[in-house]
Amino acid sequence: MSSHREAPEISKDPVADNTDVYAFVSPDKPDTVTIITNYLPAEGPAGGPNFYEFGNDVLYSIYIDNDGDGLPEITYEFRFETKIANPNTFLYNTGPITGLGDPHWNKRQVFSVSRVDGGDGVEAQTSARHGHKRDHKQGRGRDKHKHGHGHGHGKKAKLLGSGLACPPCNIGPRSTPNYSTLAGAAVHSLPTGETVFAGQRNDPFFVDLGSIFDLADLRPFQNLHLIPTAAAPGVDTLETLNVHAIAIQIPISRLTADGSVPKNVTSAKAVLGIWGAASRRKVRITDAANDGHSEAGPWVQVSRLGNPLFNEVIVPLGLKDKWNARQPVHDKDFLANVQHPELAKLLPALYPKVFPNLEALKAPREDLVAIFLTGLPTGVVPGFQNNTGKVLADMLRLNVAIPPASSPNVLGVVGGDLAGYPNGRRVADDVTTIAIRAVAGITYPLVNKGFKPDAAASAVTQGITPGANRTQATFPYVATPHGGFDAPSATM
Amino acid sequence: MGKLSPRSFLKTLFGAPNAIAAVSGPAEAPAIEGSSRRMFLEGTAGAVTGAAVILATPKVASMLDAASQGSPSSEPKGVVTQPSGPAAREPVTAYVRNVERNEVTVMSGTREVTYRDPVLVKRLLDAAH
Repeated sequence: MSSHREAPEISKDPVADNTDVYAFVSPDKPDTVTIITNYLPAEGPAGGPNFYEFGNDVLYSIYIDNDGDGLPEITYEFRFETKIANPNTFLYNTGPITGLGDPHWNKRQVFSVSRVDGGDGVEAQTSARHGHKRDHKQGRGRDKHKHGHGHGHGKKAKLLGSGLACPPCNIGPRSTPNYSTLAGAAVHSLPTGETVFAGQRNDPFFVDLGSIFDLADLRPFQNLHLIPTAAAPGVDTLETLNVHAIAIQIPISRLTADGSVPKNVTSAKAVLGIWGAASRRKVRITDAANDGHSEAGPWVQVSRLGNPLFNEVIVPLGLKDKWNARQPVHDKDFLANVQHPELAKLLPALYPKVFPNLEALKAPREDLVAIFLTGLPTGVVPGFQNNTGKVLADMLRLNVAIPPASSPNVLGVVGGDLAGYPNGRRVADDVTTIAIRAVAGITYPLVNKGFKPDAAASAVTQGITPGANRTQATFPYVATPHGGFDAPSATM
Repeated sequence: MGKLSPRSFLKTLFGAPNAIAAVSGPAEAPAIEGSSRRMFLEGTAGAVTGAAVILATPKVASMLDAASQGSPSSEPKGVVTQPSGPAAREPVTAYVRNVERNEVTVMSGTREVTYRDPVLVKRLLDAAH
């Protein structure tokens, strides 16, 4: 999947598992950028009686790099708190929930949002509130952090909102009637100009998991696989599953280094690096004496995500947990995995004679380095660039000077739509097909015009067309979650 | 690549897998009373790296100040240093359970003991300051 359960450790910690990150110029508010980070992969809608919620012991972060150094200048931090009105019932709700203040809603979550603004300094890791204060300087060139572990570093964090209600999970017609209206009330406008939402949504990511992880069964070449099968349509594995989304819409002027709203596509100021991460405290003590658990120590990052499929497909199994714990500025350590991706070796092996040109391609894949680690420079794709310089860092790179597309193409830039992936990532972009085609060689001519991609590289597809219910036209753009009563339906 | 059989291509691509290290899991941790801290640590199998965890109430800040003012000068103080490497697989871990009662809990392996030890609590609070 994009990043659902993509690494050994985080696959066992769903509330901290960042499944997807989206970042795009808001189509209905083009002076803003919307960033969405999803967690809790593959939620079954009928997941009662303890319906899904965010982790109260997890720090959720959205990072923005606006000067191309692979380090965050801006961090938005989200913390959650669960409130139980009546602990003497097993019920999530004791009657229909008709509003966010409804007394029938027994177990609810609220959240806070903070913003940390940091300059290009060394990390000042000060956690006095935890009885732990030290200046931690790692001034070794690119190794220095600014505020990489976020919350608890204190001085520069500004609380933007607190006690903000999440919507309930979508349970069914008796418990959560008029769900769309209920969730709409959980869209909060902050005094500083941001709009936020956090709660359950329909997972917009679409992929045929059963096929891809059955030794890269790709359409329309199933009969040409080393272990051939008959042609069959794609299966949208996540079609009836939910996630928990954190969405924030931010004025562009609050994100750029100089507070401008860039209009020049070629300007370096127009490109933002964006990624998400989740962190846990270093120590957790489970103790029956205090009827729960205690925590101590600094925040330690356990999950991160920029480009979809990077950790999933590029990073090998033995390094995935390490990758999750690091900041993008260290991603030069994974350069060889990008230059010589495993999947590019697998495709010719699994599909004999289907990818002969890819099989013969032994040079480092600088096209993939550009897509994943530096952004595409000016002059490669007419009218487009999202380059952030020489620092190798896995981030979504969004050129905010490119306006939203009037007729979006789910294949993004490779489909001629400059407002789509890898220019940031929109909710409906078919990143799986884009990534497979790129690895298969269709983007290599960007750096070597003499290379002729295999015909199969531009023909490979997931064979899935997601339903219109996966997205919505307005914030938070991720759509109403499937209800537990209705999904999966008896006919599925 | 066309000569590869379905069962051989992975081996050809990647060679033989490396050995996988065994990982030990947690076990029940009974409380042990009536033994000294030295006996407890000596009873721990193998040499492990120690680690201290401070876990206290919001009162800790004022307690820390009080503790640091009364620090005995005869004992050498800890020196702030960079970690020399990764933590041990199962580090000996101590945390201050109750500042007012000078309670410190020490965990080693699957064993846990809580002591009333003003000296150790004070040293940990000093280190936390």
